[in-house]
Amino acid sequence: MTRYLVRRAALLVGTLLLASVVLFLLLRLLPGDPANALLSVGATPDQVAAARHQIGTDRPLPAQFGHWLSQLATLHFGDSFVSSLPVGPEIVSRLSVTVPLTLAAFVLAVVVAVPVGFLAAHRAHTWYGALAGLVSQLGIAVPAFWLGLLLVWVFALNLRVLPAGGFPPDGWSSFPDAFRALVLPVVTVAVVMAASLIRYVRSATLDVLGSDHLRTARALGSSFPGAMWRHGVRNAAVPVVSVLGIELATTFLGAVVIESVFALPGLGSMLVRGIAQHDYPVIQGVLFVSTLAVLVVGFLADIAQRLIDPRLRGGIAR
Amino acid sequence: MKKQRIALLGAALATAVALAACGSGGGSGSSAGAAPDANAVVQVGSLYEPQNLDNTGGGGQGVTEAFNGNVYEGLFRLTDDGKVEPLLAASNTVSADGLTYTFTLRDGVKFHSGKALTSADVKYSIEKVLAPDSKSARKSSFPEIKSITTPDARTVTVTLAARSISFVYNLSYVWIVNDQAGNLAAKEDGTGPYTLDGWKRGSSLTLKKNPSYWGTPAKNAGVVFHYFTDGSALDNALLTNAVDVVTSEQNPDALAQFTDNPAYKVNDGHSNTKLLLAFNDKVAPFNDVKVRKAVSSAIDDKKLLQSIWGDHGSLIGSMVPPTDPWYTDLTGVNAYDVNAAKALLAEAGHPNGFTFTLDTPNYDPHPTVAAFVKSELAKVGITVNINVITPDQWYTKVYQNKDFTATLQEHVNDRDVVWYGDPNFYWGYDNPQVTAWIKQAEQAGSEAEQTELLKKANQQIAADAASDWLYLYPQIVVASTKLSGYPVNGLNSQFYAYGITKG
Amino acid sequence: MRRRVFLVTGIVLVALVLAVALVSLFWTPFPAADTTGGRLEGPGAHHLLGTDKLGRDLLTRLMIGARIAVAVGLGAVALGAVLGGLAGLLAGFANRWLDDTLAALLDILIAFPTLLLAMLVVAARGASLASAIVAIGLAMSAIVARLTRVLVKRVLAMDYVTAARTSGVSWPRIVTAHVLPNIWPTLAVNLALQFGLAVLAEASLSYLGLGPPPPNASWGRLLQEAQSTVLTAPTGAIAPGVLLVVLVVGVNLLADGLRDVADPTRRGHR
Repeated sequence: MTRYLVRRAALLVGTLLLASVVLFLLLRLLPGDPANALLSVGATPDQVAAARHQIGTDRPLPAQFGHWLSQLATLHFGDSFVSSLPVGPEIVSRLSVTVPLTLAAFVLAVVVAVPVGFLAAHRAHTWYGALAGLVSQLGIAVPAFWLGLLLVWVFALNLRVLPAGGFPPDGWSSFPDAFRALVLPVVTVAVVMAASLIRYVRSATLDVLGSDHLRTARALGSSFPGAMWRHGVRNAAVPVVSVLGIELATTFLGAVVIESVFALPGLGSMLVRGIAQHDYPVIQGVLFVSTLAVLVVGFLADIAQRLIDPRLRGGIAR
Repeated sequence: MKKQRIALLGAALATAVALAACGSGGGSGSSAGAAPDANAVVQVGSLYEPQNLDNTGGGGQGVTEAFNGNVYEGLFRLTDDGKVEPLLAASNTVSADGLTYTFTLRDGVKFHSGKALTSADVKYSIEKVLAPDSKSARKSSFPEIKSITTPDARTVTVTLAARSISFVYNLSYVWIVNDQAGNLAAKEDGTGPYTLDGWKRGSSLTLKKNPSYWGTPAKNAGVVFHYFTDGSALDNALLTNAVDVVTSEQNPDALAQFTDNPAYKVNDGHSNTKLLLAFNDKVAPFNDVKVRKAVSSAIDDKKLLQSIWGDHGSLIGSMVPPTDPWYTDLTGVNAYDVNAAKALLAEAGHPNGFTFTLDTPNYDPHPTVAAFVKSELAKVGITVNINVITPDQWYTKVYQNKDFTATLQEHVNDRDVVWYGDPNFYWGYDNPQVTAWIKQAEQAGSEAEQTELLKKANQQIAADAASDWLYLYPQIVVASTKLSGYPVNGLNSQFYAYGITKG
Repeated sequence: MRRRVFLVTGIVLVALVLAVALVSLFWTPFPAADTTGGRLEGPGAHHLLGTDKLGRDLLTRLMIGARIAVAVGLGAVALGAVLGGLAGLLAGFANRWLDDTLAALLDILIAFPTLLLAMLVVAARGASLASAIVAIGLAMSAIVARLTRVLVKRVLAMDYVTAARTSGVSWPRIVTAHVLPNIWPTLAVNLALQFGLAVLAEASLSYLGLGPPPPNASWGRLLQEAQSTVLTAPTGAIAPGVLLVVLVVGVNLLADGLRDVADPTRRGHR
C-alpha cells in the first residue's frame, strides 16, 4: 500500500506539471491581445507595445512559462493584467464561497441520493421506488440555471423566505446571512448532482443485487441486511466512490451558471470574467487551483476505492 | 458571462461619463411621516463592478460610479443641469489668450490619510491622468498641456498649447489624489465625504461616512454597492429589499413590477447612451451616402425602441442627445420611409438590394436589435448576415482594425459627437468641413460660438447619414420610496450618494 | 414490464421532438424573421403560444430551437464518439507508460467542466452552431475516451480474447471481432446519455450568450430572453424549459430501456 501511495502521489505531481503546461499552451491559443483591454481611445502602436511590455506578453513563450512556474513555486499567481491586483488573495477570498457551496451541495446530494438510489433499485416495483426513479430522471433533465430561476421565483420572490442572490459584504463574519445566501444555490446544485448520483447508486445496487455471491449468501441463510452489508455495499461502493470523485470535482467549477444566477462571488464567476477579459493570470490561477482540487479529489477517491476493495490493489492507473 | 455594458472601447475603457449628474435632483418621494435616519446605510444595486479602484488604472465605469464625488473629488464638479461648479478649487482665472489657467485651492481640505491638500497633489493628479501608462478614458479629451506649475501650496497654474473650451469641464473628471499615496488599485486616499471600508470582489464595495470631511457631511452613515452581472438578479434583489436603489435599470420588462407597486419609485432621467448602427463609411456599399440614407430610412426606429424599451427612451436623429447645448431635433432626417429607401437603393445601383455582414456584440440588446434590423432590411431586399462577436473581438476587429462593413454598438460617452471630426475613427466618416467645424469648436472663444459650430457639424452628419442613430437609451433609477435625495441623471456613471436619506 | 413502458415513453418523447425539428425545416406557423405580431402577446388563436418582444411567434421560435437542440446533440455525440472512441481504443491497447500518460491527460481534460472548455472554444472560434458542436463534442470526447479505455481493457482481459491475441490474431481483427461487439452496447447507452447532456450544455452556453447567433435562437437563449418578462409573459419562460426536459428525459429513458434490453442479467430481477 505504501508503495502504491508513493507511486500514486508521484503520478499526482506529474499530472499537475503536465496540467500546467497544457493550461499555459491552451490559453495562448486564444485569439485577441490582452493588451487591448488596457488601452484607451486612439492608442498609438507605441502605447500598445508599452502595454504589452507592462504585462509581459512581449516576451517569448518559454520565458513567460518559466516566470509563471517560478511564481507558482513560491505560491504566487501573479497580478491580474486588467486590475493589476494580485490574483492569489482573490482566489482565496472566492474559495470561501465556492468551497462551502460545493461541499454542502455534495453532502446534501449524497445524503439524498444513496438511500433514494437504493430504493429505486431494491424497491423498483413499489410506487415510491418508481417515484424515486422518475424524480431522478427529471432532475437530470432540468437545466440547472432554469431550476435556480424557478427556485428564486418561488422562495425568494413569492414566499420571501430566502434571499434571491448575493453574498454579505463581510462574508462569513455575518454567518446567518451568509448561510441564508447559500441555501438556494446549494439546493440547486444538490438536486442536479443528486439526480445523476441516484442513477449510479441505483445501477450499482442493481449490479450487486443481481450478483451471484449475494444470492449464494442469501441461499446459505444470511439475512438480507447482513448479506447486503458484507457483500453488497462493498461492491456497490467502488464505482459509486469513483463517480462521487468526478461529481465533486466538476461541481467545483461547474457551478459557473449557478453563481451567475445567484450573483455569488465564487471562483466560477472569476474565471468567466477572466476569459472575457483575456486576463491570463486570472484564468491560469483559477484553473490551476481547480485542477489541483480535481486531482487531489481523484487521488483520495482512488485510495478510498483501494481501501474498500482489496482486489484493486494491482495496477496503478485504473 | 458578464453582460457588462461596454462603452465605446471595451470593458476597461467603459468610463461612461455623465453629462448631468447630481445629488440633489431626484427621489423626492420620501415616505410619509418617517424621519430620515442619519445612521442608515444605503444599499445600492449596480451592474458595474470596478475592475480596480484607480480610474487612471483601468478601473472603468464602476469605479467612477462608486467613487466620483463620494470618495474622490475634483477641482470642479458637474451639477444636475450639466453646469460645472468649483469644488476643491476656490476660484480660477483664465488669461486673455485662453491658454493659462490659474486655480486657487480651497482651504482646510484633508485627505483621508490626514495629509492636507496642496498644489503638488493637484499637479500630480493631472499628470497621473496624462501619463503614458494612464488608462483614463478622458486622456484623449485633454488638450496638450505645456506646463503645470505650483507657485505656492494653494496655487496651480496650467498652460495649454492651444485654446480648449472644454478644459475646465474635463477637469471635473480628474480625481485629486494624495501624491504620496502610491498605487491606488486596491486602496484609496481621497478628500470626499466617504472613505472605503471594504471591497469584496465580485460582490460588494462598502463606503462609510468620513467623520472629518471638510464640507457638508453625508446625510447617511454609509453606502454599500452590491454588484450583479445580470439585470434580473438585480431586480430580484430590489424586490426582496436586499438593495434600496438600482443605479441604472437595464431591464425594461421588469419595470412593470415596480411602477405598479407603491413601495417603489421609477425615475426617468437623462441619458447619453446612444445605440448606433455604425456603417464603415470607407468601404462599399456604405461609402455611398445614398445607401446609408436608404438603410437609415428602411428601419423603423420607433418600433424598435418600443420593442426593446416599451414606453421609455427616445428617438434621436443624430449623435447629440437633447441635454447637450448643441442639440437640434433631427428625427425628421432620413425618417422611416420604406418607399424612399427603395428609391434611394435603386438610384445607388442596388435596385434588388445587396448583402452585408453585421458585426453584433454578443450582449444585450445587440443580438435582439440585429434580428430586428435583419427583418426590417429584408423588406427592401437587403440581406443581413448577423455575425455575433465578443466585446474583445469587437475591439480588435471593428475598432482597431476597422475590418467590418457595419456594426452595432452602444456609445455611452458624453459630448462624443466630436468623434465624427476624426477621419481615423473606426467608422471612417471623413468630411473635411465637419472636421474643421469640430476643431474650431474646441478652440472657440465662447460657448455660443462652440454651440453654433457643433450644431452645424451635427446637422451635417445627419444629412450624410454618417451612422444610423437608432435610439437614445432611457436612464432609469428605481428606488424604494423610503429613499430620497438620490441622483436620477447618473447616466450610468456618477452616483453621488452623500445626499441620500433613508426614512 | 415497467421497463418496457419507460422505453416506449422514451421513444415517444424523442420522436416527438425529432418530428418537430423535422417539420420546422419545411413549415413553421410564421416565417422565422416575421415581426408582425404585437409586443409580448399572450397565447391566442393567431399566435398559439404568444409572441416575444419583437413580435415574433413563440411557437415558431420553439420549433427552430428543437432543430438546434437536435443538431447540437447529434453533432456533438458524433464528434465525441469518433474522437473519444479512437483515443480510448488507443489507450486501451497501449503499453503501460503510454496508457498512464493518456489516462493522466484525460483526467486533466475531464477536470475542465464541459461548459468552461466550451467557453474557451467559443472564445477562440466565435459563437456559432458549429462552435457549440465542436466545443461540446470535444469536452465529451474525453469522457467517452475514458469509458472506452476501461471497456477495452475489460474485454482484452477476457480469457478467449487473450487466447486470440497470443495465437497471433491481428489487432484490427481483434478490434472488429471482439472489442467493438463487446463494448458497443455499453458505449451506445452512454452516448445516448451524453446526447442529453450535450443538449443541456448547449442550453447553458446559449443562456450565457455563447450559443448559435440570432435570429435562430436555441431554447437556452429563449429562456434567457424570457427571464426578464417572466411576470408579464410567463409562457416564454416556461415552454422552452419544458421542451428541454421532455427531450432529455426522453433520451435518458430510451438509454435506460436500451440498456435493460442489452443487458439481460438485469431483467429477471424485478
